[in-house]
Amino acid sequence: MEFEIESPKNITELCKTIKSYRSKSFRFGAGYTDLLMELKKHTPRNLTVINLAQLKDVSFSSIRSTTKNIQIGAMITASKLVTDTRIEQLFPVLQQAAHNLASTQIRQVATLGGNMCTASPSGDLICAAMALQASCEIMNDDKKIHNLSIQDFFIGVRKTALKKNEFLFAINIPRNKKRTATLHSGFIKIGTRKSMECSVVSLAFHLQIDKTGKIIDAGIAIGASAPTVKFAQSACQFLIGKKINSFSEKEKEEFANKVLSYASPISDIRATAWYRKEVLFNISKGVLE
Amino acid sequence: MSKKLKIIGTPVPKHDAKMRTTGEAIYGHDIKLPNMLYGAILRTQHPHAEFIIDVSEAKKLPGVVCIITADDVDTNHIGYKRDHPILKKNEANCTRDEIAAVAAETKEIAQEALKLIKVKYKVKKGLYNPHDALKKNVPQINKFSSGKFENKNIAEKFFYEHGNLEQEKKNSVAIVKRKFTLPRMTHACMATSNITAHYTKTNGKLLLYSSTQVPFLYQRDMAHALKMNPSDIRIIQPIIGGGFGSKLDMHPFEPICALLSIKTGKPVQILYSREEEFIASPTRQPMEIELTAGVDKNGNFTFREIEIIKDNGAYTSWGATTPFVIMQAFSSLYKIKACRFNALAVYTNNVFAGSFRGYGNPQATFALERVIDLLADEIGMDKAEIRLRNANTKGEITGQGLHYDTCGHKECLQTVIKKLKVEKKKVEKNNRFKRGIGYASMLHVGGGAKIYRSDGCGTTLKIDPYGFCTIITGSNEIGQGSETVLAMIAAEELGIELSKIKVINTDTDVKPWDVGVHASRTSFVAGNSLLGAINILKEKLNNKAAKLLNEKTKSFTYENGNIISPSNQQIALDKVVREMHFTEPNELAIASYFYEPSSKFQDKDFKGNVSGTYAFASQSISVEVDTYTGNVQVLDIHVAQDVGKVLNPLLLDGQIHGGILQGVGYALTEELIFKDGELLNPNFHNYKMLTAADVPNIHFYPVETNDKQGPYGAKGVGEAPLIPTAAAIANAVCNALDIEIVELPITPERVLKAIAEKKNNKKNK
Ligand SMILES: Cc1cc2nc3c(=O)[nH]c(=O)nc-3n(C[C@H](O)[C@H](O)[C@H](O)COP(=O)(O)OP(=O)(O)OC[C@H]3O[C@@H](n4cnc5c(N)ncnc54)[C@H](O)[C@@H]3O)c2cc1C
Repeated sequence: MEFEIESPKNITELCKTIKSYRSKSFRFGAGYTDLLMELKKHTPRNLTVINLAQLKDVSFSSIRSTTKNIQIGAMITASKLVTDTRIEQLFPVLQQAAHNLASTQIRQVATLGGNMCTASPSGDLICAAMALQASCEIMNDDKKIHNLSIQDFFIGVRKTALKKNEFLFAINIPRNKKRTATLHSGFIKIGTRKSMECSVVSLAFHLQIDKTGKIIDAGIAIGASAPTVKFAQSACQFLIGKKINSFSEKEKEEFANKVLSYASPISDIRATAWYRKEVLFNISKGVLE
Repeated sequence: MSKKLKIIGTPVPKHDAKMRTTGEAIYGHDIKLPNMLYGAILRTQHPHAEFIIDVSEAKKLPGVVCIITADDVDTNHIGYKRDHPILKKNEANCTRDEIAAVAAETKEIAQEALKLIKVKYKVKKGLYNPHDALKKNVPQINKFSSGKFENKNIAEKFFYEHGNLEQEKKNSVAIVKRKFTLPRMTHACMATSNITAHYTKTNGKLLLYSSTQVPFLYQRDMAHALKMNPSDIRIIQPIIGGGFGSKLDMHPFEPICALLSIKTGKPVQILYSREEEFIASPTRQPMEIELTAGVDKNGNFTFREIEIIKDNGAYTSWGATTPFVIMQAFSSLYKIKACRFNALAVYTNNVFAGSFRGYGNPQATFALERVIDLLADEIGMDKAEIRLRNANTKGEITGQGLHYDTCGHKECLQTVIKKLKVEKKKVEKNNRFKRGIGYASMLHVGGGAKIYRSDGCGTTLKIDPYGFCTIITGSNEIGQGSETVLAMIAAEELGIELSKIKVINTDTDVKPWDVGVHASRTSFVAGNSLLGAINILKEKLNNKAAKLLNEKTKSFTYENGNIISPSNQQIALDKVVREMHFTEPNELAIASYFYEPSSKFQDKDFKGNVSGTYAFASQSISVEVDTYTGNVQVLDIHVAQDVGKVLNPLLLDGQIHGGILQGVGYALTEELIFKDGELLNPNFHNYKMLTAADVPNIHFYPVETNDKQGPYGAKGVGEAPLIPTAAAIANAVCNALDIEIVELPITPERVLKAIAEKKNNKKNK
């Protein structure tokens, strides 16, 4: 595992560095919890790692409120997501996903950006961000920013829509619809042990409920069940307008089947496709219980 | 023991605890010798293949000092059956197979050299299932096996019986027959395998820094492998980062490292990576156990009939002898009138297993205790009651000839049954979470196991002119805390402060013989050996003290560094030693003793009292199963264990907690997954060892039966806590869901499958 490392100190320097490596082989490094594992297996010759961990720009590593959104910088670590009170109050699903990621030690360094850009089908933060219907702020080496919906960001197993001269700057999560809305929001991670577990299946849900008990908005995403994390659009639609406490057994199953329709899981050494589907159905039902 | 004890029974921390936790401890990985080279091993790419090997390119790499293949060495085969070539020639038979080894100036160069070795493989179809290996027209897997059995792929066979099986079948009102499948589990020692070999050309002596658990057997095995004189080989054990049985066998990498040192005349070190550790260190024995058992109308067990097929892997290790312990569980745990036992170890192209804490007993106990629950169901008897009714008792001599001079079985059972009050929390209205409880007991040797010509241990004890005591013991420390317990015994008996007691136990050139750390024997055997040496030394000290104090008596007490007479005259211990050394007749304050337990070598029918004493334990466990996910959450584990006598409650707790967690892992998560002989999960990511977050509530109740054979009445404790755990958890899960479990680990997927099958069966009915 041999590579050069460049550590730009601010975004201007970062953009310059990216430009100078345009025709060479390089990778970004943030918390390195994915990257080092990958490079240990195989490191291309003459690789340079552009280290993002020394960037001083606050925007890259802070959580900010705007009128419409909560913006989370790509360098925010999982442990920051766990301890931030806004995240805890507004988006429990994201806090829970971060809390269930790996172990205390890894959460100290693992970043949101790293999780997103690894684009693993079992990425826990991805799954939560997708349920929250976030969008991605992408910056290029000319410092230009463009937005992409989170669903368009992932184009295949471990593949994002990022071009070589682009990096993830932040994600924007739309604020909940009403301040008064109550939330039914959480992250269900299936695995054999309670920590250091890679999701065998995951389900992120974020339901907003008005005073009368009516669901006014719903976000459901599933992980480790398809080549990318999936947003279960029709399952969300099914919920909107219905009362949270009045689902019949049949309706719960209908909902679970809708979630399941987004799953095309594989069998691997951690579980069979049969198990993944069975569990996904059960826990989807469980969301409405 | 009527004497009031001062130190024994108190929670003295492990004397090396600080050193180990601060990083001061020197493990095998920390050793650096001048001019040392780094060794690396090339293993086959295919579990079964013919190959030709060309090392010429690799030899040219600057920094490579030596490369060896089978053609370069003259060695004997190793392993329990001497059927294991150290370096394999022309044919690979399992994924671990060592086909070449490199010594180089750096680790990186050694790894680079491995890549430059050219191997041409002709891949062959392997036999990965023992049933396939037993078929008629299949090839012989191990060409070096003795071939003394009716089938060429049988590595070892065991037969045992007692009682009148046919009669007992007739006496049974219910008979249950089940087949159980047990997985491969790995020890996952914190320190990976390591060795540093240093051969001195000028005198032909070989020095090995090795983390073996059995240095004297290892010395002999090494000598046999290398065709050397055992006494020319000196074994020094650095601090060992975990054993659990994995270091009972000598493994090929160890003589390979020695060979590299012999060839180069330089010290050579081999350290495993974690991945290599998963692939190339031994495992728990996988096996199929078919158990048929009966019960009479009163709920008394009648008979057990056992057929076992063990996957031996390509070579034979100590692991092949686990039926020796397995048959004890079947023949002698609970009262049983008749037993017939057959076990086969069958060669396959899988990796070979080795010894692992419990030595076959967790497998046996799982089958046995599962079937007890089924028998209870058959006759409608309570599961606690059927166990109490059949529990072993003091004074019992079992069908196999084990003498239970003391026996805490019933008390253990009663304790855990009473303690497990399940707060049957109201089952939620959706019925998602189900709770259940399970019981299991175990029997294990508690006073060594006579499987070698001697099960003894030697001690040399000395007191220096400053009143410090050195215990030179044959036994060794592999993390279990034996040094601490030995120091406590010396402190208790000699009235010397713990800080003035040193334990020397790492050097075969210095220490007296001992068979090694296994069979939960060390505190028992080494403790008794030390007590023997103390008695002899005290006699000498008493004589001198009597002279110096002008006392007639020879019965002194030892306290606070003083020797005290019945009339309360006292003299400092160090002064007595100085007087011994420096005044006539000028003798040393030194004594040696060899302790041999009263146990007997079993006869050819495996009958006889094989251990100095026997340990019993029972566990009761409550679980909650999530029927949506199949996850089993262990809530409470109650453990009562007949430990004879608590020597040190802190160390005992450590053994109990560690053992139980290994047991929970065995029950629920840990499994090496193989496909066609290849390991698919050689990492902690997918080999699911439990984490701190998964630890259940463990409640421990020691039962003291004060065995007259044990030091202060103590019995062996190390293996016991792991043995019944998987069985009790399986029983609890079956109780919660009304399903049957015949396979470990009880993964979430297996649980959901069982639930689905139950639903299907209901539909079909
Ligand atoms: C033991 C262990 C357990 C784990 N458990 C979990 C788990 O439970 N759940 C889970 O989801 N993940 C888990 N992971 C994976 C990993 O920790 C997470 O994906 C983590 O969020 C990655 O963040 P990082 O900062 O370490 O990324 P890095 O390793 O630094 O980078 C990951 C990838 O993203 C790219 N990258 C990083 N930042 C940017 C950016 N701003 N713009 C463009 N590209 C970027 C890198 O080039 C690289 O390809 C685990 C990993 C380990 C080692």
